[in-house]
Formats: sequence, C-alpha cells, structure tokens
Amino acid sequence: MDIIASLGLGFSVALDPMNILYCFIGVLLGTLVGVLPGIGPTATIAMLLPITFSLSPAGALIMLAGIYYGAQYGGSTTAILINLPGESSSAVTAIDGYQMAKQGRAGPALATAALGSFFAGTVGTLLLAFFAPPLARAALNFGAPEYFALIVLGLLVSIALAHGSILKALAMIVLGLLLGMVGQDIYTGQPRFTFGIRELYSGLNFVSVAVGIFGVAEILRNLENEKGRDVMVKAVKNLWLTKDDFKRIAAPVVRGTVLGSVLGILPGGGHILASFASYSAEKRLSKHPEEFGHGAIEGVAGPESANNAAAQTSFIPLMTLGIPAHPVMALMVGAFILQGITPGPNVINDQPALFWGIIASMWIGNVMLVLLNLPLIGLWVKMLSIPYRALFPAIVLFACIGCYSINQNIYDVYAIGFFGVVGYVLMRFGCEPAPLLLGFVLGPLLEEHLRRAMIISRGDPTVFITRPISATLLGLAVLAVVIAVLPSIRKKRKEVFVEED
Amino acid sequence: MAVSNFSTKDLVSGGIFVVAGAYFALEALNYEVGTPFRMGPGFMPLFLGSVLAGLGLAVAASGWKKPDTEERLTPSWRGIVLIIGVVIFFGATIRGLGFVPVVLVSSFVAALSSRLNSPLFSILLAITLTVMCTLIFVVGLGMSVPWFGPWLGM
Amino acid sequence: MKKTVITLATGALLAGLAFAGSAFAQDYPTKPITVVVPFSAGGPTDTVARLVAEVMSKDLGQQVVVQNVGGAGGTLGAGQVATAPNDGYTLLLHHIGMSTAPTLYRSLPYDPTKDFAPIGLITSVPMTLVARKDFEPTTLAELMDYIKANGENVTYAHAGIGSASQLCGMLLMDALDTQMTTVPYQGAGPAMTDIIGGQIDMICDQSTNTTSQIKAGEVKAYGVTTPERLANLPDLPTTKEGGLDLEIGVWHGLYAPAGTDAAIITKLETALQAALADETVISRFAELGTVPVTADQATPAALAETLTSQIALWKGVIEKAGVYAD
Repeated sequence: MDIIASLGLGFSVALDPMNILYCFIGVLLGTLVGVLPGIGPTATIAMLLPITFSLSPAGALIMLAGIYYGAQYGGSTTAILINLPGESSSAVTAIDGYQMAKQGRAGPALATAALGSFFAGTVGTLLLAFFAPPLARAALNFGAPEYFALIVLGLLVSIALAHGSILKALAMIVLGLLLGMVGQDIYTGQPRFTFGIRELYSGLNFVSVAVGIFGVAEILRNLENEKGRDVMVKAVKNLWLTKDDFKRIAAPVVRGTVLGSVLGILPGGGHILASFASYSAEKRLSKHPEEFGHGAIEGVAGPESANNAAAQTSFIPLMTLGIPAHPVMALMVGAFILQGITPGPNVINDQPALFWGIIASMWIGNVMLVLLNLPLIGLWVKMLSIPYRALFPAIVLFACIGCYSINQNIYDVYAIGFFGVVGYVLMRFGCEPAPLLLGFVLGPLLEEHLRRAMIISRGDPTVFITRPISATLLGLAVLAVVIAVLPSIRKKRKEVFVEED
Repeated sequence: MAVSNFSTKDLVSGGIFVVAGAYFALEALNYEVGTPFRMGPGFMPLFLGSVLAGLGLAVAASGWKKPDTEERLTPSWRGIVLIIGVVIFFGATIRGLGFVPVVLVSSFVAALSSRLNSPLFSILLAITLTVMCTLIFVVGLGMSVPWFGPWLGM
Repeated sequence: MKKTVITLATGALLAGLAFAGSAFAQDYPTKPITVVVPFSAGGPTDTVARLVAEVMSKDLGQQVVVQNVGGAGGTLGAGQVATAPNDGYTLLLHHIGMSTAPTLYRSLPYDPTKDFAPIGLITSVPMTLVARKDFEPTTLAELMDYIKANGENVTYAHAGIGSASQLCGMLLMDALDTQMTTVPYQGAGPAMTDIIGGQIDMICDQSTNTTSQIKAGEVKAYGVTTPERLANLPDLPTTKEGGLDLEIGVWHGLYAPAGTDAAIITKLETALQAALADETVISRFAELGTVPVTADQATPAALAETLTSQIALWKGVIEKAGVYAD
C-alpha cells in the first residue's frame, strides 16, 4: 500500500480540529496524571472510558492513546523532582534524575527527559507507520523460551544498575524476584506468601512497592536529624541544557530509542525491560561509569528515550494483530470494542482512516507534549522552592490516594508503609532500591515463562538452546557475565599490590 | 569486640537477606515443588530463597575487615511512627470515614512528623491539602470514594 | 419503666428507619450507582458492563458507574459486594465464575446463592474452538480424532484459573474422555498471542476474543459452543452439528447484595430490560458475537435458576477434574 497516501489520510483525520482538541486533552490529562504519583494511565483511562462513549471512534481512541503516552512524559517529572516513580520505567529515571535535582540540575534533567522522549516518540511513530505489520509478525516468533532467555539476559545485564556493591545488588534483585511471587500462582492457583489475605491474591501492587521503597523511604531518611542539614536541593543553577549536556545526551538518546523500539514490540513484557536495559547499556558504555547514580545526565537520557519509544511501539501488536501487550493496551482493546470496532488484523484494511489517523495523531501528540512540557519545566522547578516540610506531607498523601484509587484495595495502601520501612532500613545499610524493583517486575515473568517453556517442551530443558533466538539471547547473557567479571578479576589482581584505600 | 572488625552495614544487610531468603524458602516448602515438566508453586521460591540466603551470607562476609567509616544519623523515630501511622490510618479508615476527614487528619499528622512544623502550620497545611486533593482526585478525576463515609452516618 | 421507654424509643426509631427505608426505595435512585466488575478494565466482562451501565444510567436518571475490583479470580470483587450496604447503590456484574467459585475456592468467604439478590441475566457469550493456523486437523471431526489420538501431546491454552477458557477445556476433555496438556496464561490476550504465533496448539475462548482473528484467518476455527450458529460467523458449525457434546456460554448476571428492597430490585430489573432492548447495546453486543437475553430472562427468577443449576453442574465437572484454586 502507498504509505505516503496512507499517512496523508491519517493526517487529514488527525488534523481535524476536533481531533486535535481531543489529542490535546489526552496528552494534557496524561501529563497531569503522570505527574501525580500513584494514579497512572491505567486508572485514568478506565475512569475516562465512559466519557469517550459520546465521541467519534477516532476522537475517543486518539484521546485515550494521548493519555497513555502523555503519562509516560509526565511520569518522569515526579521521579526526578521528588523521587517518586509511578511506573517501572520512571523508577530508572529516578536513580540519576533525582540526584541531578538535588544538585540543582532539575531543569536540565527534565529538559533531557522531554527532548529524549520527543525524539524517541517520533522514531517509534515512524516505525509504527512504516513497518508495523512485519514487526508484529517478527515478534510472534517470541515464545516462552525466548522470553525467559530475554529476561535472564536483562537481569544479568542490569547488575550494572548498582553503583555500590555488586553482591548487594544481586541480593536485592533476588529479593525483588521473590517479592514478585507473592500472590496466587497462575499455574495452580495456590496462594503464596499471602498470610491468608485475599487482597494479596493478585500480588503486591508495583506502584505501592515503588512509592514505598523510593518515596516514603526517602522521606524517612530526610526526617533524620532535620535541623542539622538542608534536606532539599541546592539553588537551581540553570533550566536549560548546556552545549556539553547536548553532546552527552545525543548518543544515549539514539541508543535508548533503538533498544526501546525493539523491546516495545514484544507483547510478552518486553517494554518493561526497555528503560532498565538502556540504563545498563549507558553505564557500560560510559567513560565515567562512576558518575552513574550520582546525577549522570546519560542515566536520564537513555532510559527516558527507551521508555517512550517502547510506549509507541507497544501499540504495534495491538494495532496490527489486536493483541494487547500490557494492561493499558488491554484497556485500549476495551475502548475499541465500546466504539464498535473489534481490534484485530483487519482494522488496518477495514478502518484505514482510523488506523492511520491514530498513528498520525501520535506524532502530533508528541509535538504537543514537547511544547507543553518545556515551558512547564520552569514551573516544576519552582515547585522545588516549596519548603520540604510542606512538600513531604503532600507526597505521603498523594501516594496513599493514588495507590488506593488503582484497585480500591486498602492492602495496596498498607504495602506503601511496609515497603517504606523496608526501603529505609535497606538504604541505611547500604542497599539501593532500583535492583529490587527490577527483580520485582521481572520475577513473575521469569517464573511464568520458565514454567510455560518447560510445560510446552514436556520437561525438556534443551528447548532453551535448540531454539535459535533463545540460544542467542542466552549466549549474550553468558557474554555479559564474562565481560562484567573479567575487569573485576583483573582489578583484584592489581589490588593485591595496593594497600586498602 | 570481634564485630568491630566488620562492616555493620554489610553484616546487618546480609542478615536481612539471610532471614528473608530463609523465610521464602521455608514457606515454599509448604507448596508443591513439582517436577521439571510441571514445576509446582514452590519451585521458584525455594530455589530463589536459597540463593538469597546464600547471597546474604556472602554480603555479610564481604564486610570482613572493612569497618564502617561514615557516621550514621539517628533515625527520626517520631517521623517513622507518624508517617507509617498515617499510611495505616489512611488504609484502615478511607472506606469508613470517607475522603475528606481521612485526608484532613492524615495530612495534619504527616505534617507533624517533621519537628520543623508547628501545630498551626500543620493545620493550615492540612486544610490546603484537603481542598487540593479533593478537587484533583474526587472532583477532577472522578475517583469513586464518598466525601464523608458511612461511619459518620452520611 | 425505663426499659419500656427504651423499647418504645427503639421501636419508634426502627419504625422511622423502616419508613425512611421505604421512602428511599420510592425515590431510588437519588445518587450514582456503582456496578462492581470483579475483573480488570478492558476485558470482555468489563465491556459488557460498561455498555449496559451507560444505557441504564439514562433509564434510572442517575449515573451508573462501573468500578473494577479485580483479583482472586473475581472473588475479591464479589466478596466486596456481598458485604456492601444493601441499599441498591452497590451492585455486582459477574459472569459464569459466580457459579464456579464455590467449588474452585474451598475457602470462599461468601455464598453466591445466599449473599446476593439476583436482578437478571444479561447475555451469554458463545465460545469458539480455535487452533493455530498450521494445526493438522481441519474439521471438528478431525480435531476430535486428533485429540483422542494424541492426548497429552496436544497443548491447550487457557486464560488462568477459573477463566471461561479453562472451564471450556475441562468440558472438552470430559466430553472426549482424554487429557491434554493445559498451559495457563495471564488472561486471554497472551494466550491468543501464542496461538497466533503458533507456540501452542489450541484454545476454546469467548467469541469476543476470537472472532476478529478467525475472520482474518489468523487462527483455525472448528466450532462454536452454542445451539445455533453465530450471525457474524455463519460458516462456523456448532459443536452439536459436529457431533461434539459440548455446550457452554459465558453467561453474565447482575446482582445486588442480599436483603435489598424488592422495590429497588424491580426498578433495576426494568432498567436492565430496557438496556438490553437498546439499539446500541444490541449492535455492540453483535460486534462481540453475542446477543442480549430476552426480557423474560433478564429477571431475578431466571438468574436465580441459572445460578443454582450452574453451581451444581460445575461442582461435578470441577471435582472430576480435580482442579482447585486455593
């Protein structure tokens, strides 16, 4: 089919004044709920579904899609400003973004996030327009063994997330994996580690764990010895990126976009790995890996781009095959059906105006987001001038309300408190929270795909090395470990001759 | 003391990992471990729990001869008790008392957990936050929770 | 003396409350009504609920809000409604899982027949037997022979414990008197992904999830589990035609907590019947491959009867399969 003509059709739909308005409302709402911790795109789209009844199908879907990728932009804002990530992707941004904010560089951090996201969003949308069907086909080659291998690779590569002891980081990942197993086993229905509480059957809520272990733990730490030090940020230096900053973010943005685009296409949970993988890659490739964890701008640029690219390309399986890649996409399926359109392989042919209209609107939405977010940076940074003693009660409240609103489950609220204490204690004893979160999101996937692969292969573990994609991924995983271990062995040899520092 | 030769940080965090790993592994013994073909619900937690306990030992051992150098601040017990208390209070009463009273009390108490906040400042902050949150979440986002809950007879 | 006063006062109070209660029932509804869907938003049940709720709002003159309380195979949301105030402002829209939970969950904190007041049936979504495109059998008869011959070498996907696809699988294995290798997924979406990708052999799932894939030729379809053929898939034979004794529909019902005022139930019943006769609802349901039940089925009696008979049916099937969720 003629792509140019199709895109022309798409833009004619997307540039309809009403649709531009819906797109704007969508990205604005998305940004706002992304900024509010707890309340995420899932909750917002669910709440807004009834309103979209009265809109045209194109308008409704453009608006809902806008909420989703708008929230990806907004989500990084709170992660950077107050260390409160609302989603797995922004958890990575919090690592270096919050450190930058503490050093008075919140402006550049936010600008990096916005620019990186815009670039990634544009590339992701182009991929969606030009290659969606073949990419979706390719992604279908990923079965359980491939996902298992991919997750193992992701976990091993991500040890780089830690800027302290590798042993502790490993232990935190494993602890996260275990916490991810809380709840009903999907294979047998057996409730695990639930203490008989039915509310825990569907597992611990990610937002609760993230908000507790990052946000609340940070508050508890800041309340230590308040009078002795200034807990909040240094004076804001500048709002915009310096020439040097631009140089530093260019490559990470491109690499993050590539990684994110590829992983986002995989419907079995690839998008979750995107930002973690990008962070690890940047740290490995950086000439100054020691800066990571202390405010490295590459640590914001890479993951943010990866995350936004994945957000765009995760529409590919939905739009071309009708397969939802994650809960937000499942909601989009619901939105399609409510509009009288069953998403599936035929949408592209039966509803070309809708299909191309949504794609075109995504790019327009990305333009709006960057125009909306860049001026907002000044406002957000001003927010940091609110004294911390007034800010932190608001953070606690937002966290509770947001988590409660997701499922109306009070145990999600209790979990914030529990993980706040856990995070605080572990932080005091030198363990960082990011690896734990990575383990937490990947734990259930790791187990699910391992067990499924074994069932389908009827208990034959060679399935992981006889299938080419899975074998390649596992080979890369081994390579990653070797590369990680070699320098430390070399360093150990040197250390023998060096006195303790 | 022998411990002085150790990093307290590594010793304690290692200990936490050992205890957590042991808990998951032992609890997993109550679930079916299964076969490689059909792994049971106990398989992964048992394996990972043991790994975690092992890593915990390694973390503790890695602290040998590396006593902590930096001084640690004393935790703010007032902060911990009040903040965690607020979270529990919020969860326990949101259905019964309704949005407005719970947010008002929660933000007041949360504000008090900082020694820098006077009671008057906390009250003002609580009122501001309550108005803001009600507008954003209940009015703006249409969160389905009563303003005042059934316990208040409304 | 004192006692009498208290008794009198209590009596007056109770009478007042009763009066207030009936006054409430007269004016009902005076505030938005919440319909709890015990599954996450976006799924087939949620979609059914939102379509019906939208039209019921117009009829009742108050917003009918869908609230998703997912978790524990639908038992969490149902349990929440079981203990909710029985004032007609908290309702439950649940599917076939209402009747399987008492057997699947040996420690269920509520009783589906005693803790709820049925309002009416809504729809029964047909299920379809589909397989990956390159799966050997081409007709239902061949499929039956193939499964019988290959037994555990056939992999059957289902959307999780207590899901409709799991139930259909149990019935299928029961009817063919064989065992397949069942592979659970987290929901119907991932399961369909692996069918389309050819990672796994077959599934029996709601037409909601399969129709567009069947039409596009992404999956091979063998039969539909309803007595009659589907309007939007007229070439697909029914299981009965193919000689397979397998009939199942994912029926949906609307419930209030037990003890809800009869006048309120009647109002809701009328609103439900009106919604099911609505043009938009009918056309959207058709898109989902289903039809609303007739007005005589959207009644408390019909739902109560369906619930009781289905509980008995599934008790036998589930106990025979030996599958439990806790």
